[in-house]
Amino acid sequence: MEMPKGEAAYRTERIGEHRLMHSGHVEEIAKLIEPGRIHRRVYTDPELFELEMKRIFGSAWLFVGHASQVSKPGDYITTELGRQPVVMCRHRDGSVQVLLNRCSHRGAKVVNERKGHAPRLVCCYHGWSYDTDGKLLSVPVPEGCGQGFDKEALGLARAPRIGDYRGFIFASLAAAGPSFDDHIGPIKGNIDDLVDRAPDGTLALDVGMHRYVYNGNWKLQVENVLDSYHVPFGHASTVNKDGVQFARREGDQKGAAVIETKKQQTAGSWRDRKSYIVGNGHGWTSNTMLDDGKRSSPAFDEYKRVLADKVGAERATQILTPRLHNSLIYPNMSIMGLNIHVRVIKPLAVDRTEVTIYPIRLCGAPESMNFGNIRLLNVTHSAASFVQTDDLESFVRTQRGLRSSLTDWVDISRGLGDEEPDRELNATRGLATHEMVVRAQYKAWLGYMREAT
Amino acid sequence: MDVASSSAPGIDRAAFEEFLFREAALLDARRFRDWMTLFADDGTYWVPSVPDQPSPFDQASLFYDDRELMKTRIDRLEHPLIHVQTPPSRTVHLVANIIVELADATKGEFVVGSTVIMVEYRDDAQRVFAGRQHHRLRLVGGGFRIVQKRVDLINCDSAFEAIAVPI
Repeated sequence: MEMPKGEAAYRTERIGEHRLMHSGHVEEIAKLIEPGRIHRRVYTDPELFELEMKRIFGSAWLFVGHASQVSKPGDYITTELGRQPVVMCRHRDGSVQVLLNRCSHRGAKVVNERKGHAPRLVCCYHGWSYDTDGKLLSVPVPEGCGQGFDKEALGLARAPRIGDYRGFIFASLAAAGPSFDDHIGPIKGNIDDLVDRAPDGTLALDVGMHRYVYNGNWKLQVENVLDSYHVPFGHASTVNKDGVQFARREGDQKGAAVIETKKQQTAGSWRDRKSYIVGNGHGWTSNTMLDDGKRSSPAFDEYKRVLADKVGAERATQILTPRLHNSLIYPNMSIMGLNIHVRVIKPLAVDRTEVTIYPIRLCGAPESMNFGNIRLLNVTHSAASFVQTDDLESFVRTQRGLRSSLTDWVDISRGLGDEEPDRELNATRGLATHEMVVRAQYKAWLGYMREAT
Repeated sequence: MDVASSSAPGIDRAAFEEFLFREAALLDARRFRDWMTLFADDGTYWVPSVPDQPSPFDQASLFYDDRELMKTRIDRLEHPLIHVQTPPSRTVHLVANIIVELADATKGEFVVGSTVIMVEYRDDAQRVFAGRQHHRLRLVGGGFRIVQKRVDLINCDSAFEAIAVPI
């Protein structure tokens, strides 16, 4: 693991900079967010970052993992929720547990692998062992324990609240706060949209992962997943001389029309794309008009047949009609409907972020269809992909630019005032090339950051 | 691999070395289109994302390009607006510890293992990629074509900053 190299350098640079506020002061934080602009400090201030770890990542409902990653009792994965190392494991009773991955004795990280199987979790240091529900099972040389040693009280700490929607496991590190249903409710349908594509009605995140890091703030990635404005420019290198992107889905002959080459401007169909917000920082972008009825390949045709056999032809057509491009479940995960995957965003430092992208196996779909999805995700979202790499370059350059203090503000005003209600979807709608979704994210951000804890 | 056996009979070991060195030189010179022509029409370039990955099909890989994807990748590498190559990477490959691990004279196919170290410099930062690579080569009209190039990086399952050029 490399050092988060940006932060130290950044701290050095900050010496001498006039401190405008006492970090954490609620009114001062509110001043960073205006209707159409935000202060650059939101991306660059290490103290604000620590506050985010406490007030957002220490309390919000965060995506931890998928039930399929821990399918058998004793299976585990490890991750971090903000600053907290956690282990998600399957207990004997079938429940999924989210435990603090830190020995109750002297503090060592107990589980050191990213995933695995263990009937009990044993600390490497002095050998304390825990059950997969966190209960302390045994300590070596128990006769040495002091008076009043309370084994019951020394289990691994648990995430106070866990939520599960169709196998997607979320946890909140705060005992109180909005319920899981309140949080996930408005965006549930977007999870359904993905899960329903599996003929068996379940997904599995058991086909590997892509991992990348960049020297930039975590919110740059969060904002980017719903940013349709950047595509014709940020991803110009993925577009051919006719303005069309490479084919990104199994069965497509070509990708979306992104640029109108004669006029050298964003293509009309791209401009028509919509974005939606539903509160809590969540939102999504609609899909490109890809379905020209020509989507076909042996793998896709077979998949379509299998799905129709399971759910009926009409429902299958409905499921396969593209509606969603990316959906953001604020603050730390997104799901994509085009190159299907789940993305998890992990802040490491104010200017260092790690992202994990899980390809999805649609249970019950023909192997060839799943293989096709995995294969195309390599070229769109691996660390060596055609699409993601240019985004990473944009994040790094943005972080660099934001170090400049001569201009403090970042403009997010596109489409301000043009939002309209979408009664059918119970959402607020705007154009995908507008910045409504970013403003919605900062509204949620401020909501969390205002909570003095 | 049988450690006791010597290299494949019938083919001069220097011919394999020469091929691998020239391949590396094309990458270092950013002659990606020429590099692509080293691959057979059914050739693939694979960089797994976990150690000992058994298959490129059933799980994620850093790279798994057939000739068509390779062409799209190279079109992009030559595109003037590839931001992640502005400025471009400069690389140097070191290829060593070459062992001809399999020789199938009847099919005219060979598997050559080697250690590769690529140092990449871009935008004020230098980093190192290292691993063991395997070239499955096919004799075609007196020259070799790559049927598969597989690069197993020692840190293949780590989180990478953007990778734009093939290893």
